[in-house]
Amino acid sequence: MHDTMQATINGTPVTFQENDTILEAARRGGHFIPTLCELSDIDHAPGTCRVCLVEIIRPGSESPVMVTACNTPMEPGMAVRTRTSRVREMQRLQVELILADHDQDCATCTRHGDCELQDVAQFVGLRQSRYTRPDWTRSRPRDETSPAIIRDMGKCIRCLRCVEVCRREQGVDALVFTGTSLQADIGMRNNLSQGASDCVACGQCILVCPTGALAERDETETVIDFLDDPEVITVFQFAPALRVGFGEEFGLAPGVNVEGQIITALRTLGADVVLDTNFAADLVIMEEGYELLGRLKEGRRPTFTSCCPAWVNFAEKLYPDILPFVSSTRSPQQCFGALAKTYLPEKMGLDPKRIRVVSIMPCTAKKDEAQRTMFRQDGARDVDVVLTTREFARLLKREGINLAALEPSTFDNPYMAEYTGAGAIFGTTGGVMEAAVRTMYSVVNGRELERIEVEALRGFESVRTATIDLGGDIGEVRLAMCHGLKGVRAIVEDVLAGRADFDFIEVMACPGGCVDGGGHLRSKKHYQPYARKRRDAIYEIDRQMPRRQSHENPQVQRLYKDFLGQPLSHLSEELLHTHYIRRRTEIKQTINDIWRDITMSTLVHSEFDAAEPAASRKRKE
Amino acid sequence: MASVIYGVWDGKIYDNRDRDIFEVAPLPELAGFDFFNEGNVIKAFLGDRGFFVFEPGVDLLDALVRYAAKAAEESCGKCTPCRMGTSLVRDKLAMLHRERFDTGLLAETEMLARHVRQTSLCGLGQSCMTPLLSALDHFRDMLAPAPAPARRDDGGRDHDRRGDDRQAANGQYAMHYVTAPCIEACPAKVNVPRYIDYIKDGKPSHSLGVILQKYPMAATCGRVCVRFCEQACRRNMVDEAVGIKVLKRYVADLEQDISRQWFSPDMVCTRQPDHLRVAVVGAGPAGLSCAYHLLLKGYPVEVFEARDEPGGMAASGIPSYRLPKEVLRGEAEIIGRLGGRIHYNARLGRDYTLDDLMGRGFKAVFLGLGCDKGRLLGVDGEDPDLSGLQTGIDFLLKVHECLQGNGCMTLGGVVVVVGGGNVAMDCARSALRMGADEVHVVYRRDKTDMPADIEEIEAAREEGVVFHFLTNPGRILSEDGRITGVELVSMLQGEPDANGRRSVVARPDSARVLRCNEVIAAIGQQVDEDSISQGDGVRFGRRGFLDADGTTLSTARPGVFAGGDCYSGPSTLIKAMANGLKAARSIDDFLHYGRVRFFPRSRMRRIIGDFRALSNESIETPVENKYRVRVRELDPEVRKRLFDEVEKPISTEEAYEEASRCLRCYRIYSVITESPVPDSAL
Ligand SMILES: Cc1cc2nc3c(=O)[nH]c(=O)nc-3n(C[C@H](O)[C@H](O)[C@H](O)COP(=O)(O)OP(=O)(O)OC[C@H]3O[C@@H](n4cnc5c(N)ncnc54)[C@H](O)[C@@H]3O)c2cc1C
Ligand code: SF4
Ligand code: SF4
Ligand code: SF4
Ligand code: SF4
Ligand code: FES
Repeated sequence: MHDTMQATINGTPVTFQENDTILEAARRGGHFIPTLCELSDIDHAPGTCRVCLVEIIRPGSESPVMVTACNTPMEPGMAVRTRTSRVREMQRLQVELILADHDQDCATCTRHGDCELQDVAQFVGLRQSRYTRPDWTRSRPRDETSPAIIRDMGKCIRCLRCVEVCRREQGVDALVFTGTSLQADIGMRNNLSQGASDCVACGQCILVCPTGALAERDETETVIDFLDDPEVITVFQFAPALRVGFGEEFGLAPGVNVEGQIITALRTLGADVVLDTNFAADLVIMEEGYELLGRLKEGRRPTFTSCCPAWVNFAEKLYPDILPFVSSTRSPQQCFGALAKTYLPEKMGLDPKRIRVVSIMPCTAKKDEAQRTMFRQDGARDVDVVLTTREFARLLKREGINLAALEPSTFDNPYMAEYTGAGAIFGTTGGVMEAAVRTMYSVVNGRELERIEVEALRGFESVRTATIDLGGDIGEVRLAMCHGLKGVRAIVEDVLAGRADFDFIEVMACPGGCVDGGGHLRSKKHYQPYARKRRDAIYEIDRQMPRRQSHENPQVQRLYKDFLGQPLSHLSEELLHTHYIRRRTEIKQTINDIWRDITMSTLVHSEFDAAEPAASRKRKE
Repeated sequence: MASVIYGVWDGKIYDNRDRDIFEVAPLPELAGFDFFNEGNVIKAFLGDRGFFVFEPGVDLLDALVRYAAKAAEESCGKCTPCRMGTSLVRDKLAMLHRERFDTGLLAETEMLARHVRQTSLCGLGQSCMTPLLSALDHFRDMLAPAPAPARRDDGGRDHDRRGDDRQAANGQYAMHYVTAPCIEACPAKVNVPRYIDYIKDGKPSHSLGVILQKYPMAATCGRVCVRFCEQACRRNMVDEAVGIKVLKRYVADLEQDISRQWFSPDMVCTRQPDHLRVAVVGAGPAGLSCAYHLLLKGYPVEVFEARDEPGGMAASGIPSYRLPKEVLRGEAEIIGRLGGRIHYNARLGRDYTLDDLMGRGFKAVFLGLGCDKGRLLGVDGEDPDLSGLQTGIDFLLKVHECLQGNGCMTLGGVVVVVGGGNVAMDCARSALRMGADEVHVVYRRDKTDMPADIEEIEAAREEGVVFHFLTNPGRILSEDGRITGVELVSMLQGEPDANGRRSVVARPDSARVLRCNEVIAAIGQQVDEDSISQGDGVRFGRRGFLDADGTTLSTARPGVFAGGDCYSGPSTLIKAMANGLKAARSIDDFLHYGRVRFFPRSRMRRIIGDFRALSNESIETPVENKYRVRVRELDPEVRKRLFDEVEKPISTEEAYEEASRCLRCYRIYSVITESPVPDSAL
């Protein structure tokens, strides 16, 4: 343990330890310092925004020096002042400078009202913006090539939080810092577009971006079009995690289950059919469970789950060799979509051509998933549009609906709305595994697990492992649950190198699972602050359910009886399973390409700098 | 010697405006400062600590506009004040200069400049407003417009990437030079902060690209470089130097597979005429680097190497536990990939002469012969034919041959290595690995005087090497032509000399005998005189190394250049590679102009070296301690019998972390001259 040391902040004594920053000490002591780039939840203090200015007087010195609080260490005897007029003036000027090349069209910005830059401008008392240079703003790129994520550099303040999350939390490392001076921005590795890049569309970067620079592609307009069109029959589904992470937006406590209010809200909007993705989650367990048991009997191991589309992207783009190990079962969203245009209209006597499926997901990658070519029938998408939680909130606001004021209601559809506790826990890391274990155990043994809540599978570590005895002719199985792609990468590499010994591996790309998905509500200045509350709420739903095993879902049973036959039937294979494609990008370049791109003033071989770009960047596979 | 009319440097104000120029005493630090290149008067100088004006009638505001424009261009764009502030200051200064001089605008510019200086993240932003602010603080009146003739409308915005600003205003030209302490300390002037930044930015290929601008052997250098840069690193003032070398190894290893595809003959942009062929003699670091740069410039290059492999001492001297041979070989292959040819077993002096090369149509020759002849001890009882006696170089070569599978030697018993440099450490550690039971290092001075890297000494000690400091061999003992021992004498330290090194004298009656089977003399190397024959027209210098011009590396024979160890004496990989680059530039000039032209950047380096004498480096504000990445090593007990690489690579996370320690101590220096600074090839 280090010694505690003394200093003052605004004249008040504070204690601190070696290498504590001024910001940490100030926060502990209740002194507010405006910050922008810093994000303590991910231990990120790149020192780029320079807003968190304070004055310090070091012992033995008379004159105050201006430093940034977030990355300057406390020193014994130091006097820190956080609100002298000079500090306030310089903080103000700093924000004013940030705005100089910022596309300040707040009224049209997706982040309006939820923007940390707007906040900080208020915190520092900014009342003017003298240095705005539209010519600088205009030259900044906007990338709309990804179906899921829009990267608008005109709003980027170069806080590098996105790079940090993508690199350190997700381990995808798709984002780079690119350019210098006024051209400095966030770009994709190897100069690719967002769509063509290694980005897996997980959306975690959006959760940390303080401004509107990173955002989901907004598709609320399309949904309103559908609702408005009398010819269209809208079928809505919403994800397991949605109901436990949506109330905050309307002032309810985090982690409150608002399933009933969401149903009412959708009906108020004019939705024709309101259904639940949880139903499809139960169905996935049937298909995936049987698939896994089959593969185990054949000795094919391990099997990775396939319900997370960012994970599927990750596997296809970064580790295509792992694809044979990925379950062929479609995600709940896509299973739902396929049935909503076949089984559902058949049962309800509707014209499938008039049906439009809208899903509401805490996930940006679902947008990407829904437009995959294999998820179409006769050219029409199974899921027509995917709204993230944030867009859904926007949609309700556009329609003047206050969720908090709504009376809860319940599902009434007899075909695709009922769910069990197993389907409900799909939203959290470990949930898919637990649901699968419950059903597989029962399939193998003809009886239920004694303890339905499998504690061994729950937890927060990014990679967890467990051994479960499934009994019967299967016996012990080795399981792994990983969430956050960084841990996933480690497991995938282990599997490919033959170092890992697992039968079944659950993967969720977002740290925490879908309850902390990249399409969920974001929190200013925090990264996933409600992870625990949302997770607890999910487990609570499970506990309250009369049926807690997927195979007990009466509507799933009915679906098999009336339509599919049995798990892995021919029709199931056609509607509920899929295949993957190798999408790895091979970059071919010469030293010319690299030198041409390098900015520095000490080039020896600057002749390469001016050379014509060789058509040497190629995509393979 | 330059006389300062007015200026500010490192807080000190110089004001001689009210005197006649001939009354002003020139500053001794600025000796040789009158001209930048021949006949081109230096009118002013601007840098990280202030500015000097040396000529009457200098348009200071114009100089500041140009300097600000360079600063705006150099800003990395990460932190707000520098990214925005430098561009705003540039534009406002240009407006003041060009459109209207108004005190309100000047005050606003000053406010922005102070803000940039006080709140920027790195050394660039913190230092680049100093000339402007010191002018504003002390010579504000000099910024007001002189009733001058109409100015050219260039706004200081146009500048090419070499920083040579060609547009003149009022007969003022500017040349900028951007550097950092680590860059200046590096013999090859590798842009260290830039390659570290590219790692941080997530662009390792670009990072390696920065290094490859200077030499082809990045992974090699990332393993064995002696790290002049790290000694100069400003981070030393906070905690420890940035791991510059280990980061270089990291990017070079990371990109190793793909970087092989980066080079091909058809990527070279300019082809030189076929008859301008260049011969490079010696495929050591100096020769390979020279060939690399010439090939990139489009010359047909052939390399003649005495031995049967490339790499010179890096291949045959530096042991593979420090530098795995395949790393070196992979990097030497770049020469072939660029279309260069290497002829092996072709020894100058034995197989051909310089005249032969010229006769075969080579228009220029680079000699990178190295120092591959070891020196014996010169003590009683020493007979070169004694079995068990050899020089360090010969011993390491045998070890190398043995590991390559070309006839093995056996080593056992007690080995005594004489010498205190890295070669001695390599001999001692290699001897252990070859099976010696005991290895002793005998060094005449004290441990702190050893030229070997402290890391090497420690590693040897950990592996069990026994050190005898202040000890010298007095006599070699032998029986029947075999060494049986060595007589050791203790040394006494005298007073420190001017360099702080203490002389040593033998202590009377201290002789004792150390029984041993082998003695390895690792006390120095020489050029093999047989390489150069009388008719070659190349001379040896006083110390027994090849004589060549310090700036151009040209020898007495026109068209023949020399560099690396054969010119400097036993030195380092990086110096040899830097010489290779310099020689390539000289050869390029020679073949096109018949002479070597003025090289502005070298000149600039000398100038700022002089100015540095006037400055103190310091770190003004507290910086968080972040300790340097610890490189993991093989366990001494395991490694001491293996030639496997001792140092393990660092992880990607460690590399990001280490890269984030760099303070980016960039500084911009500008000279304002009377006429344009001539362009030059490299
Ligand atoms: C044991 C040892 C350890 C070292 N460790 C380090 C270290 O850790 N870090 C570091 O920076 N430096 C180190 N050095 C120094 C470094 O290796 C040399 O400074 C560097 O290799 C010099 O390069 P060069 O090209 O000038 O000469 P060399 O590397 O000596 O290359 C000269 C080449 O020319 C060839 N040649 C010689 N004569 C002829 C001829 N007549 N005709 C044709 N070819 C000829 C030789 O065969 C050789 O290939 C070490 C040196 C030794 C000996
Ligand atoms: S990012 Fe924030 S400040 Fe910028 S336009 Fe959007 S809401 Fe306004
Ligand atoms: S969406 Fe995910 S993978 Fe893509 S850039 Fe953002 S964090 Fe990285
Ligand atoms: S895109 Fe967003 S998170 Fe990334 S650097 Fe810009 S402002 Fe920060
Ligand atoms: S901190 Fe970075 S820029 Fe400064 S001397 Fe060290 S390596 Fe160079
Ligand atoms: S919050 Fe401290 S520099 Fe951005």
